[in-house]
Amino acid sequence: MNEKVNLNVNGIEIESDPNKLLIEACEDSGIHIPRFCWHKRLDPVGMCRMCLVEVETPRGKMLVPSCTTEVSDEMVVDTESDVVKKAQEGVLEFLLINHPLDCPICDKAGECPLQDQTMAYGPGESRFVEEKRHFEKPINISEIILLDRERCILCARCTRFSDEISGDPLIEFIQRGNKTEVNTFPNEPFKSYFSGNTVQICPVGALTSTSYRFKARPWDLKSTRSTCNGCSMGCSTELNSSQNKMLRILGVDNDTVNQGWLCDKGRYNFEYLNSDSRLKTPLKKIENELVEIEIQDVYSELSEVIKDRQTKVNFLLGSNLTNEDYVAFREFSEIISQSEKCFYLNDDMLHPGFFGENVELAKVDDLNSSDAIVVWAEDLKEKIPVLYLRIRQAVKNGVKLVVFGHTNETLSDIADVFYGKETVSENFEIVKDISKLKEIKEYVIGKNITAILGKSTPHQSDKSVTKLFEFLNSNSNSKVLNAYSKGNTYGAFQTLENVKGLNDFVNDISEENTDLLFIVGADPVGRSVYSNQIKSIIEGLDKVVALDNFNHETSELANFLIPMSSTLGEKEGTFTNIEFRTSRIDKLVPSPGQTVSDWEFITSLMNFAGLTVETNSLESLNKKAYENLDPSLSPVFDNLDKPSNLDGMVNVSKPKISSTDNNSNEVKFFTGEKLYGDSATERHSDSISLLGSKKYIEVGEGVIEKYNLTSGKCTLIQDEFEVAVSYEVNKSFPNDLIYIPTNRRELNKFDFSREIMIIPSLVKEALDVN
Amino acid sequence: MSWDDKLLKQAKKIIKLYPQKRSALGPLLHLAQSKDGYISDDSITVISELVGITEVQVKSVSTFYSMYKQEPTGKYLLSVCKSISCEINNSSEVINKVQEFTGLNNNETDEEELFTFEAVECIGACGGAPAVQVNYETVEGVTPENAINLCKWLKETKPDVVVADEMQENFGGIKSFDWAIQDNSGATSTAPGFQTLKTTKVKK
Repeated sequence: MNEKVNLNVNGIEIESDPNKLLIEACEDSGIHIPRFCWHKRLDPVGMCRMCLVEVETPRGKMLVPSCTTEVSDEMVVDTESDVVKKAQEGVLEFLLINHPLDCPICDKAGECPLQDQTMAYGPGESRFVEEKRHFEKPINISEIILLDRERCILCARCTRFSDEISGDPLIEFIQRGNKTEVNTFPNEPFKSYFSGNTVQICPVGALTSTSYRFKARPWDLKSTRSTCNGCSMGCSTELNSSQNKMLRILGVDNDTVNQGWLCDKGRYNFEYLNSDSRLKTPLKKIENELVEIEIQDVYSELSEVIKDRQTKVNFLLGSNLTNEDYVAFREFSEIISQSEKCFYLNDDMLHPGFFGENVELAKVDDLNSSDAIVVWAEDLKEKIPVLYLRIRQAVKNGVKLVVFGHTNETLSDIADVFYGKETVSENFEIVKDISKLKEIKEYVIGKNITAILGKSTPHQSDKSVTKLFEFLNSNSNSKVLNAYSKGNTYGAFQTLENVKGLNDFVNDISEENTDLLFIVGADPVGRSVYSNQIKSIIEGLDKVVALDNFNHETSELANFLIPMSSTLGEKEGTFTNIEFRTSRIDKLVPSPGQTVSDWEFITSLMNFAGLTVETNSLESLNKKAYENLDPSLSPVFDNLDKPSNLDGMVNVSKPKISSTDNNSNEVKFFTGEKLYGDSATERHSDSISLLGSKKYIEVGEGVIEKYNLTSGKCTLIQDEFEVAVSYEVNKSFPNDLIYIPTNRRELNKFDFSREIMIIPSLVKEALDVN
Repeated sequence: MSWDDKLLKQAKKIIKLYPQKRSALGPLLHLAQSKDGYISDDSITVISELVGITEVQVKSVSTFYSMYKQEPTGKYLLSVCKSISCEINNSSEVINKVQEFTGLNNNETDEEELFTFEAVECIGACGGAPAVQVNYETVEGVTPENAINLCKWLKETKPDVVVADEMQENFGGIKSFDWAIQDNSGATSTAPGFQTLKTTKVKK
């Protein structure tokens, strides 16, 4: 099977794997064949005919499209003959017949495959003197994507992407022949979490994004390779900036992680970097007013607090820090703090996970090589979108998908088995005997399994997932991918000991054990389900220092507010993803005003307090982070910068998570987060803020009857607090279940352990009038 | 949903004939055509839900094929062949006469919504050129005069079922094949007459 085949291309002998496409085999051997429609990650379609080459056949030399022809042994190919050249000129002349040639005002000009290949292979002159085909110039096919049908060359890359890769085919070819155009159905916009990828793979300027449109020319762009820290997938990105402003993020084809794709949040959320509302100077709260102060004054005030090394310091750390930042806090804690050494992560879903001795941890690539994937976790499409794409890809390749729980409804469409409300109760417990489920017997028992496991909702007890884990572990050859979704959670695992989540923060932190609290890049008041409790805890503390990009609901409670530089292109460091793959985060633009990196702040503070630290530079922190690992395999900068390691280095180390179970047997409300919310960064990104953070709830069918809901709107009331929301019925929910997305302001302010009243809006209006 | 129960029942019956739901797309579009005289966006929404693909995918198919009309058609769709066999047998004159009689340009529908006229490519009746179709019921060997008579007859009697054999007898001439079985069934709408779709009826 693994035998190679030999081909002769342009007189050169090359070797290739069998079953490869000719265009790919040539590419691998350094022979470039021009193309528009063919894309490595999409099925071949043979639309554009640009890749025609001559192949010797029993009937003589023939022109064949190399993107739909598989290699065979002793194939003789000519990619540069006169016939091929004539074919290429002809194809380009045809493609340019209706192309408007508005390159001077086109965003793609300068990096346009059509422009480049016309220069390289084109006829130089057109014989077409007639009127070109006309369409309305760019139409909005979604809030953030524009389509110029005149520029389109009908390569079908975007339509294939949305059909094959992201699975939401909302754009298609309409009409036929000369009238063919790409379009959406009327009033059914291209609302996809992955729509930005179509802009990136469009070989002409037909698809553009509102975000980057008319902002820069490719030859003005500075670029660097980095890693997205939006979720725990850690997609490889290319950052582009011009005149010190970040303008665009592109996906980089990292075979083992994101394969070139990004979700729209990862692609467009950078816009907050350029927001005017960013914190630029340190602020101090004096009599409830925030007053600008010098950073030196912050250092001197705080150094008074920490100087005697008797201070009880606690840390609430966000997931958008680099590993080096985490290490800086760890070192700081070791030197200064007298309280128990532990770190609270800004995660209301943190749980001990499955990292024990008997667990084999999975890599993302294992999805493709296992017999079946078993998922019971948060909604992966909402929380780790690109992992969802990888699952889709595995399923397309024939891997069976077994999904538990109504939380993962978006996977149910492609799942071979979806164990919904009949199997998983409202309290998030599996109510059936797992071993007796028919499909489990068929797909799981005794097979190679990749299990993606995690909590589905903050109030769920850890025990229910553990039950499934134990079943899988003893009945199949399983590997586990722990589905912690938040940013650099795995970086925190790798660098910090004794990490806990927000449920423990709420129970542990009090005035007695906390003299000083650092809140770094975290807004638990604005986003977590423990909002009210955390707010009152922070209000009860004497000294709170918040480091953040924006002033938000949590940071406004702090005594000091330090402007933080963003991990998205404003600082260097490393990031560790869901499979413990550590890769580089790079700096491309200067951070505004007096913003500082977290590690700079904490190191300067220690220096100011006269405490000598050896980790006083980024490099030393980086080395410190991985000092226990084998030097040749440790992801220090020197290693990561080697060309062979650009995709990151995997270094599995089992974390110490000391989070406790909240043991609740009764989940009254199913809370979770959707991809788009209204956190401070999302509100200040123009594109993301358009994509919807509408306040709504999803309900099981029984809820409609129970509360007599009719108008599509209702009001949630608890004590004096009320929020008006719209509701949607979700048929896969257990009857009485109510889902509340908590990454919307106000919706997380309820006490979810108590009853929340639901009143239909018509009744509410009548009550208000009276 | 804008389809009545009877039509939905029929649609579900059609879907059952295929191993995959989406394979029923073509027939369902014919069904939609027989209901409204064209493929309305409402019908597309209904079909997309029935076969489990997105609306734009249905739209893509329906706009690809010219027999699925994007605009409402009249009661009678007059298709006159303009391809080579018919052309050399004087189809251009047939086209002229029909256009003159109906006052319609290509792909137009008259105000009473009685006639839609189209000049079409080969309809597979070269042996009996020039050929005309009324609601996809073929009449062969049609002279310009008989074309007008055909139109007049349609306008005056307004038959609900259009039968090929009946029109052939009254207005046709030479036929490609004269050994076919006499068939008294015909089309009831501007969708072709298929028994499984119930777009055909026997004329009494």
